[in-house]
Amino acid sequence: MRSITIALAVARKDLASEWRTREIVPALAQFVVLALVIANFGFQFDSRNAPAIAPGVLWMALVFAGLVAFGRAFAAEREQASLEAMLMTPAMPAAIFAGKALAAGLLLVICEAVLLPALALFFAVPLTFDEVSAVLLATVGMAVLGCLFAAMVAQVRARELLLPLLTLPLWIPFVVVGGQAVQSAMGGGHTATGSANGLLLDLDILFVVLTSLAARFVLDD
Amino acid sequence: MTRHEQGSAASVALMLIAGGFIFLFAPTDALQGPVQRIFYLHVSAAIAAYGCFAVVLIGGVVYLWKENAAADRLARAAALVGLVFTTVTLVMGMIWAKPIWGTFWTWDARLTSTLVLWIIYAGYLMVRRLAEPGRQSARFAAVVGIFGFIDVPVVHFSVTWWRTQHPGPVVLNDALPPRMLVAFLITMACTLVLAAVMIAIRYRIEFLTDQAAEKVVAPIVAQTRAGDAR
Repeated sequence: MRSITIALAVARKDLASEWRTREIVPALAQFVVLALVIANFGFQFDSRNAPAIAPGVLWMALVFAGLVAFGRAFAAEREQASLEAMLMTPAMPAAIFAGKALAAGLLLVICEAVLLPALALFFAVPLTFDEVSAVLLATVGMAVLGCLFAAMVAQVRARELLLPLLTLPLWIPFVVVGGQAVQSAMGGGHTATGSANGLLLDLDILFVVLTSLAARFVLDD
Repeated sequence: MTRHEQGSAASVALMLIAGGFIFLFAPTDALQGPVQRIFYLHVSAAIAAYGCFAVVLIGGVVYLWKENAAADRLARAAALVGLVFTTVTLVMGMIWAKPIWGTFWTWDARLTSTLVLWIIYAGYLMVRRLAEPGRQSARFAAVVGIFGFIDVPVVHFSVTWWRTQHPGPVVLNDALPPRMLVAFLITMACTLVLAAVMIAIRYRIEFLTDQAAEKVVAPIVAQTRAGDAR
């Protein structure tokens, strides 16, 4: 019970500081819209190829927005050296980690709230419940993995280089399964969205358990 | 000769014997011709890479559990050797794929997951290089090694989970003629010995590096600290 209170307190602190500075969310929202603009030029979109290409663009934008969001999650703590202070309290490192991951995940969800409607608007693809649920399910696993490695790279040199190198390979399962789910939700593909979402949930459970076990070794140093 | 030199000589001799079995004993494939002979080293290297990454996993778990420096050194050594064998697997596979599939690369599930495996363990070595040497780099690398190993079963079962272009398992399915099977088993055994010898040599290098760091760097640090205290 206490751990959950701590996690919620850490998440509330992060969200409050984001609300006061309004740094990450507006930048990320701009970033994802920019990603759509770049994709438009790169892929030469038209009404015929849009449903085939849009899922790929969605995941590319989401993955890179995620890297930025999770990279920032521990940046402020590092700059103020406040992570050490938090770790000196009797709170469990796993609870602190869960709070950070929750806050960073919620910031990414806000950015998805811009990305998904923008994608539907600009590329004339349907915005369906299945698509939203696949993206949200993938966000959970991506957030815990992203935050674990963000906590790690915050303590090493060349962190901007290392974060994508460590995180992207482990995000691939989410992109593979989520990509199939979104593709069939947009009318292409041949995998049932329901089974893909079930697999995403399994992946979420696996990585939530693994990262909460590993958090102690990454933070408590 | 030191123990390591003996081991190296023995593994080179064994690989030459394996080469003899591959080129002289095993029959030429009726459909693919001589190119099929790549199979023996390609699959053996892949199995050796799996083995190395399993050692990285076990070394990482033992390190996190017991903080045992030897386990960490073993993981460090095995990661590098595993990366070498993954490279061999990928390159051998590409050389085989060009005449058989008509292309060096295709985004097939097994090829892609093997490439991802390579990237994960290259990242492992990057963490080792960039993190602070000692406890931090050992801990972080152990975490990366444990998460990275998730990709090994994905690579292995990719041919059964997805419809892939990559050939399915032939050894376990009894699809090999006896002479091919013998050549394969001998190559695999020799490759595993080679991998073990490479890990042993690398372990020794890591051990000497750690020892040098302790002998040379630790007194300097202690001296500086003493100076600061004064």
